[in-house]
Amino acid sequence: MKNIIKALILFLLIFSQSYGDENLSNQILKNLRCLVCQGQTVHDSNSDFALTIKSVVKDKIKEGNNEREIYTFLSEKYGDWILLNPPLKKSSFLLWFLPYLLFFLGIIFLFFLIKKPKIGP
Amino acid sequence: MLSKLGILFIIGTLFTSLSIIFLTFKELKAIDNLIPSKIYKFSLFQLFFSISSFFVLLLAYILSDFSLVNVYENSHSNKPLFYKISGTWGNHEGSLLLWINILVLFSSLFLFLTKNSDKSFKILTLLFQNLLIITFLIFLLTNSNPFSELFPVPLEGLGLNPILQDPALAIHPPLLYIGFVGSSIYFSAALAALISKIDSQSFAISIKSWVLVSWFFQTVGILVGSIWAYYELGWGGYWFWDPVENSSLMPWFVMTALLHSILVLERRIGLYSWVIVLSILTFTMSVTGTFLVRSGILNSVHTFASDPSRGLFILSFLVLMVFSSIFIFFKFSPKENKKYSIFSKEAFIIANNWFMIFFLGVVLIGTLYPVLLDTITGSKISVGPPYYNLILAPFLIPLLFLMTSGPNYKWISNDVRSLFNLVLVLSVTFFLITFFLIKENNLLINLILFFSIYLITQTLFDFYESFKKKNINISRIISHLGFGLLIFFIYINHIFSVENNFNLKLGETKKTDYYTIKFVNLEEQSIKNYKSIIGYFNVSNKKNFTSKELRPEIRVYDKPFTITYEASINSNLFSDTYLTMSNISDTDVFNIKFQVKPFMNLIWLSVLLLSLGGVLNFFKRKKNEKN
Repeated sequence: MKNIIKALILFLLIFSQSYGDENLSNQILKNLRCLVCQGQTVHDSNSDFALTIKSVVKDKIKEGNNEREIYTFLSEKYGDWILLNPPLKKSSFLLWFLPYLLFFLGIIFLFFLIKKPKIGP
Repeated sequence: MLSKLGILFIIGTLFTSLSIIFLTFKELKAIDNLIPSKIYKFSLFQLFFSISSFFVLLLAYILSDFSLVNVYENSHSNKPLFYKISGTWGNHEGSLLLWINILVLFSSLFLFLTKNSDKSFKILTLLFQNLLIITFLIFLLTNSNPFSELFPVPLEGLGLNPILQDPALAIHPPLLYIGFVGSSIYFSAALAALISKIDSQSFAISIKSWVLVSWFFQTVGILVGSIWAYYELGWGGYWFWDPVENSSLMPWFVMTALLHSILVLERRIGLYSWVIVLSILTFTMSVTGTFLVRSGILNSVHTFASDPSRGLFILSFLVLMVFSSIFIFFKFSPKENKKYSIFSKEAFIIANNWFMIFFLGVVLIGTLYPVLLDTITGSKISVGPPYYNLILAPFLIPLLFLMTSGPNYKWISNDVRSLFNLVLVLSVTFFLITFFLIKENNLLINLILFFSIYLITQTLFDFYESFKKKNINISRIISHLGFGLLIFFIYINHIFSVENNFNLKLGETKKTDYYTIKFVNLEEQSIKNYKSIIGYFNVSNKKNFTSKELRPEIRVYDKPFTITYEASINSNLFSDTYLTMSNISDTDVFNIKFQVKPFMNLIWLSVLLLSLGGVLNFFKRKKNEKN
């Protein structure tokens, strides 16, 4: 049972990665933090910084870079702080796996709790 | 003058709170079964002093009394009256006073409204609640006094941040405070229940109304805050997974879990310890959220009051609170019959609790992880919407499924089973219709849509059934229907949202796939406390030839100097047309963001439906009590 759920979740994760045919540039900009603003994305901001990044991303797409390459380029330049979708690294390993660990521990816990009953109505 | 009066009332509150603590402490040793009238009197005086101090601050804002530092820093005599009033709680000191008022209000309400309850339980609840009150009063007096005086008295104030001058923003903090500060009363009650060892059922019954009230206000508070973000921040989104939003969501998850598990505890003995833990956790999450927001360790759009020294105080309080709760919990832990059997229906409620705690965990991890990482390694990362969507969205599927099948599990007879299948067939049909209309190819989104449709159909059937049978919980149906609709509309909205960004000069026209947008006119106006540049746009739909006029604004406030971009929204039940304009420096070109967002109003209505379930449950309960 657990394996099935695990497999299902992995399967879903793979699928949720693909975002249909939304405009690539907008999609990238929505995942970038505007560094000079308070909690805004580059996409939503009109600050000079955001305008610069917007044109950089546009150029990079024209040059044929894919989404991942653009994120890598930007994070090398501005640090991971700019990426709203934290990449899976050593430092963010726990961030990504702790939730799943939590969930499965819960399932195991509940499994033992619910297994116990003497026949209910 | 007002400053001195305010401080006097605060001292009065402090004195009465201390007296209540003293009296309740003394009363613990008494043998009789009656709470002395002295305690009631002191509680009334405490309420009077505390509310008076709040009114004094309110008055200072209305009269623009700049001899108070707080009024000077956050108000201006030109401001409209409504925002002078809301300015009272639109800053750290004032909101702390409001916070204390709610603690006191709930303390008194609990004392006066809880009837037929164990004496030592009531007395102890009052004791703990007043300990909380004292702590926050000390914080207010030593660190964040809204009544601090300023000399010489300035002629004019600095003004309120214009982004806070908005009706929805003005009312949402009090709503949220009633929600999460209100949770303090069942925090106190949980500790009291442990020590006084009252039985689980009377504990459940005595806190249920309070949980419902705080849950309702928290839900509505989040809704209003979200609506504010939607039209005021000008991005067209309504939820950003911003740390401040997360702080309001975290207590909500625990409250929701608590709401469900109390249903079990009301009828059976099981889950007592767990309900106690949840009661303690709710207020702990509220204080944690407050700490994160007020200490300024988080980067957020909503941050309006941050200062490290405040953070330190709240953190120390939090640590003290958590450790003393843990101590009390283990010292007085109820001896529960751990071998209770869990019946089918209760298993579902436990499953609900697990999901809520899981969601809480994810939001907590996402919010705290960057802070901890920064402290430990010095590297900064951001955790934004993509993280939460990716992790949480798949779990909506089992949650929706459990919400559909759980509540009906107990009374599945053959007769109902056929109905059950009919629901499934109908749901599949509805889903297929939706699928062909939207042509979405993402499997996850399709699954979520299907399960939300399933939940909606099932609850509608339950609704029909509830007219035939009388024993069905109508508040549950309404709330679950609201949740199903919420998820459904959120995803439909996500799929159908159209967004265009472009630059336009006055007189120019932009054609998109379905719309023609004409920049017709530009006007300047001087309003009471700001200057406004208004753009007139004509948006016509190529499909059905309707046209709308939209008037976005750029506002320039001078006290303090701020520029805000006001979206113009043409809103109807099925679709919002959303337009913002912003000037590009040194040019006569304007950047236009044009969005069409379907079903926004239905998203809001779904949340209202969700909260309505809580209200119905509250009144049903009151009615049952009378019978």
